[in-house]
Amino acid sequence: MNARAVTSDVLLGIVPIALLVALWQAIASFGYAPVTLLPPPGLVFMRLAQQLLTSRFQHEIAATLFRLFTGFSIAVVLGVTIGLLAAASPAINAVVRPIVRVLAPLPKVALYPALLLLLGFGHESKITLVAADALFPILLSTYYGASMVEQKLIWSAMAAGTPRRQILFKVVLPAAVPSILTGCRIGLVISCIVVFLAEMITSTDGLGHVLVTAARTFQAVDMFVPLITISLLGLILNGLLQAVRSYLLRGFPEV
Amino acid sequence: MISPRALISRSAPLLACLGLLGIWQVAALILNTDSFPTAIEAIRAIPSILGDKESLINILASLRRMAIGFSAAVVVSIPLGLMMGRSRVVASFFNPLLMVTYPVPKAALMPIIMLWLGVGDIAKMLVIFLGVSLPVIYHSFQGAKAVEEKMLWSGAAMGLSAVQRMIRIVLPAALPEILTGCRTGLVLALITMVTSEMIARQSGAGNILFNALDMGQYDTVYAMIIIVGAMGIGLDAAFEKLRGRLVKWSEPGFDIPLSFA
Amino acid sequence: MKVLPSRPDVQVDPAPARGQATAMIEIDGVSQVFQTSGRQNHLALSDISLTIEDGAFVSILGPSGCGKSTLLYIVGGFVNPTEGVAKMKGKAITGPGPDRGPVFQEFALFPWKSVLGNVMYGPRQQGVKPAQAEAQSRQLIEMVGLKGFEHFYPKELSGGMKQRVALARTLAYHPAVLLMDEPFGALDAHTRTRLQNDLLNIWERDRKTVLFVTHSVDEAVFLSDKVVVMTRSPGRIKQVVDIDLPRPRRRAELLLDPRYQKYVVDIERMIDDTSEDELRP
Repeated sequence: MNARAVTSDVLLGIVPIALLVALWQAIASFGYAPVTLLPPPGLVFMRLAQQLLTSRFQHEIAATLFRLFTGFSIAVVLGVTIGLLAAASPAINAVVRPIVRVLAPLPKVALYPALLLLLGFGHESKITLVAADALFPILLSTYYGASMVEQKLIWSAMAAGTPRRQILFKVVLPAAVPSILTGCRIGLVISCIVVFLAEMITSTDGLGHVLVTAARTFQAVDMFVPLITISLLGLILNGLLQAVRSYLLRGFPEV
Repeated sequence: MISPRALISRSAPLLACLGLLGIWQVAALILNTDSFPTAIEAIRAIPSILGDKESLINILASLRRMAIGFSAAVVVSIPLGLMMGRSRVVASFFNPLLMVTYPVPKAALMPIIMLWLGVGDIAKMLVIFLGVSLPVIYHSFQGAKAVEEKMLWSGAAMGLSAVQRMIRIVLPAALPEILTGCRTGLVLALITMVTSEMIARQSGAGNILFNALDMGQYDTVYAMIIIVGAMGIGLDAAFEKLRGRLVKWSEPGFDIPLSFA
Repeated sequence: MKVLPSRPDVQVDPAPARGQATAMIEIDGVSQVFQTSGRQNHLALSDISLTIEDGAFVSILGPSGCGKSTLLYIVGGFVNPTEGVAKMKGKAITGPGPDRGPVFQEFALFPWKSVLGNVMYGPRQQGVKPAQAEAQSRQLIEMVGLKGFEHFYPKELSGGMKQRVALARTLAYHPAVLLMDEPFGALDAHTRTRLQNDLLNIWERDRKTVLFVTHSVDEAVFLSDKVVVMTRSPGRIKQVVDIDLPRPRRRAELLLDPRYQKYVVDIERMIDDTSEDELRP
């Protein structure tokens, strides 16, 4: 795609967002909604900027990010490992596949009360929930990528002298990286969503908690702030992942 | 006669369920704390929940809200996604908006929506509507985008108008992908429903869960989890059957039920 | 699948002296049956027996589906024969190894490695030190005509260039036998003829044993010392044709050479005549 097309796309894409913000501003200015319910965008963004400078809010962001990263990392390590093993060994696959089919459609947030009972109301229960939710897309895409590796790649490596036990690590894993990263992207979005929700349901800190607290005190402005924050966080993290992806996949043809 | 091998593979999910319940049972017995009842104790509590008229009405109301929210989302999202798939202008218009709202958990909008619309059904259905829309739009978009240009040219040559081509060529061709989106949407609907009820404690399955938690009725908590889990698995399985019927002609999609939360 | 030696009583000498016409590859009574998805049995190869001498360039020629690639994979050790045995230097082939290097039609380059990374893979796998492996690989890359492209990734190369890298990668671990599976099939005609020439030039240097699968009659005749003509599925050997044309072979000369033309015409006729396919034992 040439530069002109990209810029026109971006410009076009900003339009609905800009329109929405303009609409927001219009509704607020014309008084169609009381300030307590729908504060004008200017106010919200000012409050956001204000909050970002306070250490309290930074602490909330840190708490959310910590749980997000920890849960996501666990999901990546477990998901990739199990996915690779299931692709490599029919025996493991036979055990893993039905379990995944049963657990995957299960709304894991339903497990949250149980996690609270077992692990307490602190970080652990939220991290576990995030990991449990982010695990499945990563596992499945790893399995999918690993089982689709071109047979001739494996044969070429074997003929070059690679012993069988090293094939998984030296050929299958690198060849599956594009698929794994796609799963990671989904897993990352899920992690953002889940950590926020878990904090909303029960927590003593974190962005979700900020939202709920603001709701209880009917502070509309303070309710918008964490929402916008998590949205921005999601975008930034996604952007980082894309950068990592571009680097790791520099040799792979565009899919 | 079914061979023993086929029998095992068909009943594998069931075996997996039993296996997981078994592990639960053993773990609970080992841990032996009040807050972790055994699987059997939890299962025994199920009839009392389903038998209680109040709870049953609650749960059914939840399902009703979910159904309405889901249907509305599907009706709006599929055409939008299809149009995005075939028109770059439309796609560029909506894409960034969707990408920005993607990481925002729709259930998190509950408090705000409740502020505006009160605590009635509409608030909950709106949240479900928003939550389901995204995956359905995305998958409809992808499915429509992938439709071969040449199929549409053939259609145009046969005299079909743009709208007719959309309905009679793009829609069926994109249907497998659309249904994948619907499947994800269905799981999301259930999750959004439960989560929004956990947040805006008022009625519904999520509410029952947390009430039981607050009141220390641990058996009920776990029993409710099983019920919700069974709903999720049941809905998913039913949908898969429907999907198989509708798109018999396509290759079996890789079953990635992208569940959120 | 268990590989049964056909004649356990026969002694086979270990490494025979170079220079003699020794059997490098022996294929003895090999058959291959595949199970298709409908639980049907498909006989891909039927009772193939063939001897390939050290240093010979042998083509396996036949229509699509005659099992010629399967035969190559059996020699490569990627597939185990349902019946019969393939041997290399007298020892039964049980798996892949650096003594039999493949070059595939799909190139099969490692997309996550650069050109240099791909070529260095074999030597590194065999324990050659990085600096030495890199030096050797650069030499090979230059030999196949890709000097300057060492740090390119496969996706940035054309089909012909990718196949050159694939060749260099295989040559890097010094296999005694080259197994080439329709290597130029995915390339356009012009690139194909260039690579055919380049292959022969490279081959002339150390005259490895080559097993070359193709469905192109003129390619087979141009390149080989022997052409093994196979029947349609189930694949059997119809005939082995000795190509008595002088080396080095120049395309421009050969195309005008009546002996070359006669070989091509005869073999084409042989392939077209399918009436005897079922009768030949």
